[in-house]
Amino acid sequence: MGPYIGRRLLHAIPILVGVTVLTFAVLVAAPGDPVFLLIAPEQQANADVGALRAELGLNRPLPVQYGVMMAALLTGRLRSFQERRPTLAMTAEALGPTALLGGLALLLAVVLAVPIALVSALRPYSPLDHLVTMLSLLGIALPSFWFALVLIFLFTDRLAWLPASGLRPAGATGYAPALIWPYLVMPAVVLCLSILPLLVRYARSALLETLHEEHVLVARAKGLTAARVLGRHVLRNSMIPVVTVIGLLIPNLLSGALVVETIFAIPGLGRLAVTGALGRDYPVVMTTTLVGAVLVVLTNLATDVSYALLDPRIRFD
Amino acid sequence: MTADTVPAARETALPPRDRAGPRAHPIRRLARNPRSVLGAVILTALGVTAVLAPLVAPDAPDHAHFLDRLAPPGVAHLLGADHLGRDVLSRVIWASRTSLLIGVVSAAAAVAFGLLLGGLSGFFGGWVDVVIMRTTDVVLAFPVFFIAVMFLALFGPSVPGLVLVLAATSWPPSARLVRAEFLRLRQREFVTATRALGASSLRIMIRHLLPNVVAVVVISVTLRVGLAILAEASLSYLGLGVQPPTPSWGNIIADGRDYLLTGWWISLFPGVFVLLAVLAFNLVGDGIRDAFDPKMQL
Repeated sequence: MGPYIGRRLLHAIPILVGVTVLTFAVLVAAPGDPVFLLIAPEQQANADVGALRAELGLNRPLPVQYGVMMAALLTGRLRSFQERRPTLAMTAEALGPTALLGGLALLLAVVLAVPIALVSALRPYSPLDHLVTMLSLLGIALPSFWFALVLIFLFTDRLAWLPASGLRPAGATGYAPALIWPYLVMPAVVLCLSILPLLVRYARSALLETLHEEHVLVARAKGLTAARVLGRHVLRNSMIPVVTVIGLLIPNLLSGALVVETIFAIPGLGRLAVTGALGRDYPVVMTTTLVGAVLVVLTNLATDVSYALLDPRIRFD
Repeated sequence: MTADTVPAARETALPPRDRAGPRAHPIRRLARNPRSVLGAVILTALGVTAVLAPLVAPDAPDHAHFLDRLAPPGVAHLLGADHLGRDVLSRVIWASRTSLLIGVVSAAAAVAFGLLLGGLSGFFGGWVDVVIMRTTDVVLAFPVFFIAVMFLALFGPSVPGLVLVLAATSWPPSARLVRAEFLRLRQREFVTATRALGASSLRIMIRHLLPNVVAVVVISVTLRVGLAILAEASLSYLGLGVQPPTPSWGNIIADGRDYLLTGWWISLFPGVFVLLAVLAFNLVGDGIRDAFDPKMQL
């Protein structure tokens, strides 16, 4: 397992380099001069644009700019144009809320999807199954940003039960669960709903397939209890396709987090990326893109490794 | 956000009601599937309304009646009026033109792109295949919506930019699918026979292989329109898609964001339209897939 993980990480390096080169190309090709965003409009006439550009390293040849940027990024010296703080530190700060939100949403989705899919698969084409199918079709079509507004309207504006923006009360710091849970309920539910329907559909078809297999018939025939048949023989064998889909859904979750963080004003990775791109803060854009790509590569690897844990027949060497 | 990277769940058996017999014509099987009929009805209604917008909409989308600002749904304004006194129903109807058109065009562009790359990859194999498929893997592995937001934020929002970004980030699934079909088809006798008759690669691909992947292409486009509509709405909501004053479902929802308490109808109704449109495209797409081949990995 160790050498396999090492090899996969080595393979990821060219992909990550490709991502940074591509991002750099997009940044260079984008219209607009980032320097002017740092100078107030009324002072632009008499500002020393050349000096500022030199200070930011924007006057050097492009390959040099790229090299300097990457070297600075990897050593944590790359600073945001706007805030003049190391981008790595900014990204690390933003990663906390996103990981918390994404983790909660994923956990919620898995905890809900498996039982729902199971009731559905045990009685295929029953009224209950049709209801689940119809609801998941509706869920797939549900625009998450709109659903977020509906929730804000109901639970913040009408009922005043939950706060609609931020991650913690004003002035508070840290992640004390008692303080932040009300802020996480709506974002986590919205984010969860952006992957739940797909997970249900997938788990249902995986379960249906396993339920029809002969070893399940044998398990039933030899008189095992329904609980044991389901737990030991059906669920466990259906988990591989489900884990694959979870792995494939991680990029969706990141994209969803971007929308959810923007709507609920949560200081996460997605919001940092959007404000960075809107403000032409090149170092921030580069860092958030790279961190996003690293996250995807790592979750893909984790998915593959978990196959071996679920199915002892699968070995990597 | 979108289900770009995930192949659809496969049905293990046809639901009893869908059984029109294995030899029934796909269209007949489609017409017997209540879900796809529902989808087709919604689609037709939306399509007709969008095309006939000037006749159907009660008002111009940008006609502001200042006395009716934030008027609730009622006789004068069926779905209410927005913060500028514009009729929400009229805006939603006019917006359906923008949103449906962007959805269909970007989905078609994405699949066309996927068809081209997947076709080349499957037909020629070798290093062409390796290069194209590795690129596909890279694009598939990335949070494409993230990239779309970055691109539109940096280059400035515009409708052509939006279509381009949506197409450029969502071609990989179709490319994989077409590649698999081409791989399967190029082994067949009729291709060998055509080649023996002296046909060029281009001719084989266009005249003999392309007609065989029409079903796959139609299904891919239909299923992708829903995703494209959702993506367009999200991007327009974030201010990175269709720009006011042109109405799109996403930017009308954004208009209502600050008026949830005083004018909930502004955001509510366009959202319902997005939901219905995406649902309808998915129902029809699923229906066509099941009518042709329920085992198809789409």
